[in-house]
Amino acid sequence: MQSAEDWLVESLRLYQDFHAFDLSGATRVLEWMGDKGVFVAGYELLTKNEILHLILPLRLSVKENQGLFPERDFKVCHGGISDTSVFDLKHVPDTRLLVTSGLPGCYLKVWQIAEDRDVIQATDTIAVHEKEGSLWSRMAVFSSMAPGILHGVRLSGLRIVDLESQKTSYSSGVSDGEELSSLQVLDADTFAFCGTSGRLGIVDIRQKWAPVENLGPNPESGGERWCAEVRDRGQGPGSCIASLASNGQLRLLDPRNLCHPVSSAQCPVSTPSPDPDLLRVTWAPRLDNCLAISGFDGTVQIYDVTSWDGQRSQVKPLFTHRGHIFLDETKMETAPLVTTHTWHPCKPRTLLSAASDASLHVWDWVDLQTAC
Amino acid sequence: MPELTGAGQDVGRSCILVSIAGKNVMLDCGMHMGYNDDRRFPDFSYITQSGRLTDFLDCVIISHFHLDHCGALPYFSEMVGYDGPIYMTHPTQAICPILLEDYRKIAVDKKGEANFFTSQMIKDCMKKVVAVHLHQTVQVDDELEIKAYYAGHVLGAAMFQIKVGSESVVYTGDYNMTPDRHLGAAWIDKCRPNLLITESTYATTIRDSKRCRERDFLKKVHETVERGGKVVAAGRLGMERMNLKVPIYFSTGLTEKANHYYKLFITWTNQKIRKTFVQRNMFEFKHIKAFDRAFADNPGPMVVFATPGMLHAGQSLQIFRKWAGNEKNMVIMPGYCVQGTVGHKILSGQRKLEMEGRQVLEVKMQVEYMSFSAHADAKGIMQLVGQAEPECVLLVHGEAKKMEFLRQKIEQEFRVNCYMPANGETVTLPTSPSIPVGISLGLLKREMAQGLLPEAKKPRLLHGTLIMKDSNFRLVSSEQALKDLGLAEHQLRFTCRVHLQDTRKEQETALRVYSHLKNTLKDHCVQHLPDGSVTVESILIQAAAHSEDPGTKVLLVSWTYQDEELGSFLTSLLKNGLPQTPS
Repeated sequence: MQSAEDWLVESLRLYQDFHAFDLSGATRVLEWMGDKGVFVAGYELLTKNEILHLILPLRLSVKENQGLFPERDFKVCHGGISDTSVFDLKHVPDTRLLVTSGLPGCYLKVWQIAEDRDVIQATDTIAVHEKEGSLWSRMAVFSSMAPGILHGVRLSGLRIVDLESQKTSYSSGVSDGEELSSLQVLDADTFAFCGTSGRLGIVDIRQKWAPVENLGPNPESGGERWCAEVRDRGQGPGSCIASLASNGQLRLLDPRNLCHPVSSAQCPVSTPSPDPDLLRVTWAPRLDNCLAISGFDGTVQIYDVTSWDGQRSQVKPLFTHRGHIFLDETKMETAPLVTTHTWHPCKPRTLLSAASDASLHVWDWVDLQTAC
Repeated sequence: MPELTGAGQDVGRSCILVSIAGKNVMLDCGMHMGYNDDRRFPDFSYITQSGRLTDFLDCVIISHFHLDHCGALPYFSEMVGYDGPIYMTHPTQAICPILLEDYRKIAVDKKGEANFFTSQMIKDCMKKVVAVHLHQTVQVDDELEIKAYYAGHVLGAAMFQIKVGSESVVYTGDYNMTPDRHLGAAWIDKCRPNLLITESTYATTIRDSKRCRERDFLKKVHETVERGGKVVAAGRLGMERMNLKVPIYFSTGLTEKANHYYKLFITWTNQKIRKTFVQRNMFEFKHIKAFDRAFADNPGPMVVFATPGMLHAGQSLQIFRKWAGNEKNMVIMPGYCVQGTVGHKILSGQRKLEMEGRQVLEVKMQVEYMSFSAHADAKGIMQLVGQAEPECVLLVHGEAKKMEFLRQKIEQEFRVNCYMPANGETVTLPTSPSIPVGISLGLLKREMAQGLLPEAKKPRLLHGTLIMKDSNFRLVSSEQALKDLGLAEHQLRFTCRVHLQDTRKEQETALRVYSHLKNTLKDHCVQHLPDGSVTVESILIQAAAHSEDPGTKVLLVSWTYQDEELGSFLTSLLKNGLPQTPS
């Protein structure tokens, strides 16, 4: 078993840059504000949790002469205290507002980032009409002149609430009880949803509920939980949806034909995922055909899906980030689990990842295949 | 009531004045590294407008050897004037004069400054120092005591508890809560001071792990040697495996001295490090050899760990001059460099340096900057507050607008008040001193005899007299107090006149009163005395004729202070008139 020090020496070759931090509480949230700020929030039940607005270390924003920018620490720009756990956080673009969702799941909270002080204050709540014991609302933001929050626990309870007036401007109006695992706004009029059973759909909010979707759960599926992300290119050609299951299956789909996946692969991960709620698949914003997955163990895996087609049983990740395993300071019995990850909006190979031991890593991996 | 001034929200110099239970203590005496003139020293006129500092201050405490905590000490003691005791730990006492002299040399000899302390002043100042051990209670006088706690941060750094009677303040100086290879984490017991003064410079940062800094350091070294360059680095790298295939040296001079000091003060490191020191001889780098100036001209890559890191003297400056002109080479500078040093200049971006003999040195080598200083971040501050359990917290060394969240966190989590004074601001904190009072046995016994035993959780009211004599408090019964003080007891009696319409004789009126009261006040002892007066308990009622109006009778109701309640009640009752009796 490699020691931490050995891994660090090897990391000189694997990473351009690597920073490790310890938060005071583990986070499941990594939400960007611009390209320099990121939000994290605690998810502990039955106790107060912190919401922090962190500014990335300066040296990561500087290309030349990083040495003279010694600032390698995250700065806490703003902080707030939540009485409940925070499982998801969304920043409302062009505003100083945040919306959080967690347990208990009967309401979402709206927060304001103060202008001249370093505090984040709770201002409002949005009631969630479905009252489900252990389930929490997924959210997505329709940003426009009057921002609206799309949220719901199941398809039946999906609605868009106008942030200012608190009026419901849209609701699905169906009795479908499919549990949601992700929501994503695609443009001013459409959003995509993914159900825990693997159902995918794209909805136009100008019409009565008639989503484009795949039909029913896959006959092969046997109780896995799914999550998905649409590559951010609107709905033109080349748009792609990546869908990930708790048994390690990764599917790529074309939104124009959701019933037949373009390709399907089995990722080499330890299965089943210990907490399928933490599954995450994300597309790289600055690399063609690259995506990252996490939620199975203490790693984040990156895949190049160019020329993936059909059924693939053996795929190899382009890169695996193992920092959370080797630098685990807590040395608890169970290895830490990566709770979330996100790509830097501008730097092509930079990611942030967080784990259950409250660690937060910022890493810029080296593509060994193309490195000369 | 502790009062504080100075070292508010200015990162630069520390100097805090605390007034506690009549004692005045100065905490640290730092210099601001950013100024070249008198602004670098604290404004000591804040302390006292008149009188000598020696009379006003009971003691001065220095937390550690960094110049922003002790840099103004010789100026303060020798030029402003203070002859009282200066407390610090043993390593601080050993290292302070070296740094002060170093700084003095640069300021005076290199920069030609006037109005600066001399070498002799440094020596005279250090003669006033009283060194203390960790966890040793030191009596400054018969009321003021101080105790030092381990602070981590740098060798010899301590947090101090200042105690007068039941009031206490803890000052942290600079500290860190994450142990590193050479120094453990700060620790304090649950001393529950009235006030905890903590530095908050890094309160709003989340620090990159030490391992990553070392990794970066190593990466830079690797990159440089891989392209054939030479590296001169300040400070030490804690990693054992550096994986370098090139020669590694340390330059003699201060490194040896530093090692020497580290060995002397090995008891300062934590248990774990003490063990590994024995096993691995950490301070004697086996694979690192001593540098000889001739090696500087050797071709090919190499790494030299040099001190002093600021490049202002000795071998490190020589090495730097030889390698500065080649862009393949690299210099790695430490945390901060004192103004006027070569290190400071190149960190400011200067690339053409004037050396002795008006020679100009062009710096083409890579300049890197590595900060290894250990300070507590927000998480660390919360940990320390949790350990000490203070009644109040005071944050110094930070910026007000950026500390409100931390303040909220501290106030919410620990339910204590948290303050952030600015430089020159005074904060006054009320404390509740505990005053012991002795209760006389007689009084206690009398209370117990009065009835039910006191319940453990219910307060029980008792009356007594508090006597203060010679700083002693005693609670005794009133009678005892009168006796002790030689005073006679006075009685207070109230008399009230109640007019009644009654044409009968006084004696009959009195009888009517007696019957009425006897019937009404069944719980009280009502008596008709032979002289015609009526008593209710100890209250006396006498009937008399009105001097002018024979149809009116006057009842005189008289009672003592103790019977006020019953007396008032009787009076109102009688004012309502007497019941008609059948004649």
